[in-house]
Amino acid sequence: MKKSRCSGGIAAALALALAAAACGGSSPAASSPTAAATVPELRPDQQVSIVFESYNLAQAGPWTDTFTDMIKKFQLAHPNITVTAQKPATATASGYGSAAAASVQRQIAAGNPPDVGQLVFGDLFYAVRGLGATPLDTVVGHDAVQANFGGTHPFAATARTLGDVDGKTYGIPFVFSTPILYYNASLFTQAGLDPAKPPSTWAEVKTAALAIRSRTGKDGAYIDCLTKKAGDWCYQSLVDSNGGSVISTDRTRLTFADPPAVDAVTMAQDLVRSGATPKLSQEQAYPAFARGEIGMILESSAAEATFRKGATGASPPWDLRAAQMPSFDGRTVEPTNSGAALVMFAKDPAKQRAAWELMKFLTSDEGYVQLTSKIGYLPLRTSLLDDPAGLKDWAAKNPLIKPNIDQLARLRPAVAFPGDNYVQIKDTMLEAVESVVYSGADARSTLAAAQDRATKLLPKA
Amino acid sequence: MAVSTTAVTAAAAGMPGERRGEGRRPGETDGPVGGGSPLGSFIGHAVLTLLSLACVLPIGWMYATSLRRPSDVYATSPLPWPLSVGNYRHAAEVIPIGPMLFNTFAVAALTALGQLLTGLLAAYAFAAWRFPGQRPLYLLFVGTWLVPFQVTMVPNYTLLLRLGLLNTLAGVVIPTLCTALSVLLLRQHMESFPKELLEAARMDGRSSWSVLWTVVVPNLRPALAALGIVLFINAWNEYFWPAMVLQRANSMIQLGLRGFLGGTEGNDWGGLMAASGLACLPIFALYVLLQRHIVSAFIHSGLK
Repeated sequence: MKKSRCSGGIAAALALALAAAACGGSSPAASSPTAAATVPELRPDQQVSIVFESYNLAQAGPWTDTFTDMIKKFQLAHPNITVTAQKPATATASGYGSAAAASVQRQIAAGNPPDVGQLVFGDLFYAVRGLGATPLDTVVGHDAVQANFGGTHPFAATARTLGDVDGKTYGIPFVFSTPILYYNASLFTQAGLDPAKPPSTWAEVKTAALAIRSRTGKDGAYIDCLTKKAGDWCYQSLVDSNGGSVISTDRTRLTFADPPAVDAVTMAQDLVRSGATPKLSQEQAYPAFARGEIGMILESSAAEATFRKGATGASPPWDLRAAQMPSFDGRTVEPTNSGAALVMFAKDPAKQRAAWELMKFLTSDEGYVQLTSKIGYLPLRTSLLDDPAGLKDWAAKNPLIKPNIDQLARLRPAVAFPGDNYVQIKDTMLEAVESVVYSGADARSTLAAAQDRATKLLPKA
Repeated sequence: MAVSTTAVTAAAAGMPGERRGEGRRPGETDGPVGGGSPLGSFIGHAVLTLLSLACVLPIGWMYATSLRRPSDVYATSPLPWPLSVGNYRHAAEVIPIGPMLFNTFAVAALTALGQLLTGLLAAYAFAAWRFPGQRPLYLLFVGTWLVPFQVTMVPNYTLLLRLGLLNTLAGVVIPTLCTALSVLLLRQHMESFPKELLEAARMDGRSSWSVLWTVVVPNLRPALAALGIVLFINAWNEYFWPAMVLQRANSMIQLGLRGFLGGTEGNDWGGLMAASGLACLPIFALYVLLQRHIVSAFIHSGLK
């Protein structure tokens, strides 16, 4: 009897405590209706304060310094606009991914969302449907949005629509990369390979990787697209380049277990089985390549600075080079994009106008000169690379950017999975891929089972 | 490096006033690990040595990496050579380490002191008096311990927003000033405190407040020291809550360390290891300073 009363007491206390803990929680704000007409220009004396959230501000060094400097320059040019910059609150140990969207979501729940956020493309649909992102076409007009993509140095044509959802522009593409094959030319030479002719197909990658392994004792090639940690943008490049996709064009049916995806994953599994690819995690492969212990790595250009530091700091230094993503035999590479867009969450017309001015400034010629020369991000206004007043000198000193620029011309947008469960769908897919490639599971049945599970997470029609 | 809660629980449960050797049953010895046989002793020490190495190795590697030249951070030799303070210089250039360490120390100290004080007062009330609703109230405290942080973070965040305390150090400290851990452990300890002593003090005319500070607290010193250091370390290591509150400033070392982790942009291992090495030093210093208290508390509990 005594025990029963005690248990009841504990249960009641727990219920009370939970109820008390839950009190005060607020539900995420639904998207509020956006202004029907374009918002007016700010008067010169109209003071406006806005908040800008960027994951780059969480990274010490050139990332924070460059963004802080750019915001200072913006405020000098717009003395009536005060920008408060902040980083996302995240519990993740490395990288941000959907943590940036979760940070915005929490602030919306508390009633103080940032006015402009830097979100990865995979979060864009959720930002629109779940976080009430503001359609830029409605705020400043379609023509103004398109005009921002133009100018002396226009945006790459393939990049302009990356921030579109349902025909409206919600995000201005900001920073991204395509998958680049970085390789250690010194290891190529030691292995008797010609570093001037990097592999252009996956079959050639396997041959070169095995040669490096057998003749130098180092590892051959690592594809940083095949784990949950790596995210799915690069994996989509592999599948797309083999004639497939991970979801149907109308985004109602998952297709990541279709034959092109199965063949792509089987190719990667064969690289591991043959010994051409080491069984390493992303965290292991990064520094291993930087140490000069892997011959090739398929990676975002965001990692280039790390690789360059490793190559020049090694004793003796090794020769870092870059090439375009290898193709499947007889097919054309269709590179997809990583990266992030600038998305507006402001609802007040004055803040919306101020936010738009900031978005224009960050994606201006001057903005990309700063972003590219100080951080190394791909300049989406590509002709800056030919302008002596822009990035011509920088490009001459940084030839590794060329494969990325060349691939930009035939970019295929990485697609975001639909619905509130988009992260789970992506993770389910990548867990299956990881299991096939690194644990030797059967590609066809594993991907099919994962696709069945993930299909249940798609939004109901 | 961290003191386990289990150990503290045991420490807090220890009877004050016990001395080394008291209460030992006949035949029990305070012998070395592994019992009496040489083989057992050898195996015991071998296991402890391996465990010690496993604990020390990551810390040693952290300092080894921090002392390599910045260009050598990917080297795998166990000893850094040639030695360099380049990574420390780089870390100090990139983040304001000194102010960050000071702020973090202040936040951790205030948090630990606040939690000790609230825990002490609440535990005293629960242990020294009988009052209506005592048990449900105590169970509520137990209940709050079971509520995960994720449940309360948004309400706490909203409250800070309304109070205008977001992006301030006070906003990091205030919501954490009361913790069930200190209430439960100190109450458990006070329950075993001889009631006769309390009554004798009251008969001498001491007020309840005076009894707490002149009779109870001096006898609780070892437990308070052990609990205090755990609370301090918990506050020192806390990342998520400061990250939520301090979105616009890198004013604490945890957030500064996070700045060296770049995800796809690559991690700045040299700067991270140097800053981490510095971030560990205050905790090391605390251990050295309070070692006698902590060991004493654990010995008491071990003999109970």
